[in-house]
Amino acid sequence: MKLTEDDIYRKSSQYKHWSFTPTQLALLRQKTNVQACERVKANVARQRAQRAANALEGFNSASDSERANTPGENGSGNGTPSANGNGNGGDTPLRPDKEVDCLTVAEEMRLVDKFCETVLALAAFIGAPADVTATAIQFFRRFYLYNSPMTYDGQVVARTIMFVACKTDNFSITLDEYIAKVGVTRDQILAPEYLIVQALRFNFEVKHPFRGLRGVHLELGEMLSGSWMGMPFDERSKEQRKQQLLRLPKRAGGKEDNMTERDFGKRLEYVYGLASKILKETAQLTDAYFLYTPSQIMFAAQLLADEPVTMFYLNTHIPSPAIYPSSPYNKIIDTIRACALLLSSHHSYTASSVTPEEKAAKDKQANQEIKALLKKLKQCRDPDKIDLVKLNQAHKRDAVHAGELEESKAKRRKIAREDAEKQADDFWGAELHKK
Amino acid sequence: MGASPAVSPRPGLPPAKPSANASIKAKTLAILNNSRAIGAPDGLSRATSPGGDAQDLAEQMNDDVRNQFVAGTKLGEGTYAVVYRGHFREDPTKLVAIKKMKLNVEYRDGITMDSYREMKYLQELSHPNIISLFAVFTSKDQNISLVLEHLPKGDLEGLWKDSKISYTREDIKAWSAMLCQAVWFCHENYILHRDIKGNNVLIAADNTLKLADFGLARSFSEPGRNMTCNVITRFYRPPELLLGAMHYGGCVDVWSTACVIAELATRNFFLPSETDLQQLTVITDLFGSPTEADWPGVSSLRHWEVNFKSAPPKRPQPLSHWKQRLPLMGEDGIDLLRAMMAMDPSKRLSARETLKHPYWTNMPRPTKKENLPGMGGGEQKMGEDLKRPGGQIDSGRTDKVARKLDFGGK
Repeated sequence: MKLTEDDIYRKSSQYKHWSFTPTQLALLRQKTNVQACERVKANVARQRAQRAANALEGFNSASDSERANTPGENGSGNGTPSANGNGNGGDTPLRPDKEVDCLTVAEEMRLVDKFCETVLALAAFIGAPADVTATAIQFFRRFYLYNSPMTYDGQVVARTIMFVACKTDNFSITLDEYIAKVGVTRDQILAPEYLIVQALRFNFEVKHPFRGLRGVHLELGEMLSGSWMGMPFDERSKEQRKQQLLRLPKRAGGKEDNMTERDFGKRLEYVYGLASKILKETAQLTDAYFLYTPSQIMFAAQLLADEPVTMFYLNTHIPSPAIYPSSPYNKIIDTIRACALLLSSHHSYTASSVTPEEKAAKDKQANQEIKALLKKLKQCRDPDKIDLVKLNQAHKRDAVHAGELEESKAKRRKIAREDAEKQADDFWGAELHKK
Repeated sequence: MGASPAVSPRPGLPPAKPSANASIKAKTLAILNNSRAIGAPDGLSRATSPGGDAQDLAEQMNDDVRNQFVAGTKLGEGTYAVVYRGHFREDPTKLVAIKKMKLNVEYRDGITMDSYREMKYLQELSHPNIISLFAVFTSKDQNISLVLEHLPKGDLEGLWKDSKISYTREDIKAWSAMLCQAVWFCHENYILHRDIKGNNVLIAADNTLKLADFGLARSFSEPGRNMTCNVITRFYRPPELLLGAMHYGGCVDVWSTACVIAELATRNFFLPSETDLQQLTVITDLFGSPTEADWPGVSSLRHWEVNFKSAPPKRPQPLSHWKQRLPLMGEDGIDLLRAMMAMDPSKRLSARETLKHPYWTNMPRPTKKENLPGMGGGEQKMGEDLKRPGGQIDSGRTDKVARKLDFGGK
């Protein structure tokens, strides 16, 4: 008995809950964005009304200390609000209340991409291995499918999600060690944890393309040494296959080459290194995981790293429609190419044709756009969700009260029920004695 | 079958209402936003407090899930979890067990690794012989609840311990087959259970066995990365873990599985001991001392020297000892067990290989599920089993070591 990779993948939470068509993905993001915008606007409006009322009150009784607090808040408003305020600028009442300018879906996505790079840096800083890092980034992207960066701060969520990924993927680090490295309090890490696991729908398994890449690499090595068995449809001998491999052109459309086995071995090492880098970085920073399976992503990265070798490998595994008319060959290749296009269009991917100057200019422009977006984000943060630590404390406090309330209610009901039973007994008279 | 007389929830335990959460939210927000305005005489701030329905998409989804279930009687309570009987709101005859994880006082780093592991792996595994996880939700006090299959007929250990139940070699074959398939399925999904034992194998109303408690489970390690050897309840721990191996695979679960089958056949613990050190003695008493000849590499395991370097070598018990001890297994059954308990893990059967053994297809045929003997009233037992942390022996003695995973360094 053996389950195929497909059987396993189709039953995974990644396939069931976290795989989308491009349209589904866009609709979900739209829905999240609309809901977040409505809430930001409602909460800002409520806060303005409240502040206006307080100001009115303030003419008579506001304490001086409170007034002294307000300008300071504004000065330190860099994403880490002081504990005493709600993080909204104290100067807002001076301005006429204008409609909040919320982020668009595209802007949200740019910011999430940017924060993914933060997770990557954070992971490198604590020394997490590639798979734990990738899990953290995918958790982060999944979280922002159901939440907006306007509601929950990317920085705050990133820190906790990194810690959650360490726990789910067996990277041993205690919270004390973690906060010592990251430089925040225990509460700052723990407060958003429930929020996060809920948004992740309690799915913690992320299937990565890394092991598949190693498998392909080992198999190519066997083909090169002439020991690979070959698929049933493949009529070439081991030696023929080896010779064809050595004669592969250096790049797609190039002319036939003739490398030594040793040089080709080096080429394979290089391909593995490059593909692995694409998987660890670029693939993490795009929607690839939502739109493609791990093996499709793996072959896409491999294709970008060395098209002739990758096509040779695929041709040895999937029969062409010329042999089997029903072969899914074209569909598979098209999917891999589409995924490769997604990866290569990300700014972290640098094609060999781009000069360093062009890249520097592109990066500079991207940075400026991000800066502008961060500035815009500051104006449209949901004021209710800025201090998650305090929110979490209030939430717990409330739940305890609610629990007590329910307990006392339960007690009351029990007494009422017992009374009712007693009355019923009285009504029917005392129990008859058994003879 | 599943229709228990007590399907309706107790009046004292009202099910979670959607409005309850909403009002908490409203209050929470009100506290936050009114913190400055406390004591202000005008009621404006309260009047304009946000509507309770302003929820995140994720919160809405969580509430939707929670509202599919109704919690009923408490079945058991331990340090780590409380287990309730419950049912689907839509269909009160469809029973579930709701395992509410308690906040662990010893673990201060948030949600425990055990909870994460259990959720992570049960979400991925769907197989008739593995306990189903229907849903997960958080309650208002921020505890995680797992909605699990309702398994009212106790567990395998309870079964062999119950002297009122008599069973045959055909029954043992049927139970063993279900257990081996569960283990095979875990391994095909690259998941190690790491705590297989009689009281982690529960019995459904229709007599199907269900492997439960994935609190110590993990995925197969990246090659070369260390894993802890401090897993699996002692009686079921294979020799390589006792010797400190930090690289291992599915074979650790196969050893435990064989122990469970042997327990069924002998109606006793198969390899009981008092300490980890003694456990190795008990194993070598039966299998003989491992040598470099029959287990290449054994002498380079961390704890080999302490245990074997100066000890007089022991010889394995002859086949006749097995036949005498396990008459219910038959010769083919004994052959299977011995192959599942090869001392050298590389010579031990894999879970996939266990299913190919002739024992399953030889006569006698396994008992049909509906004819298997069993006990009633095992529901409390389920409560006990689900609330218990892994690595613990039912006798009340706690093998706490297994809980403390040291990851074997990096």
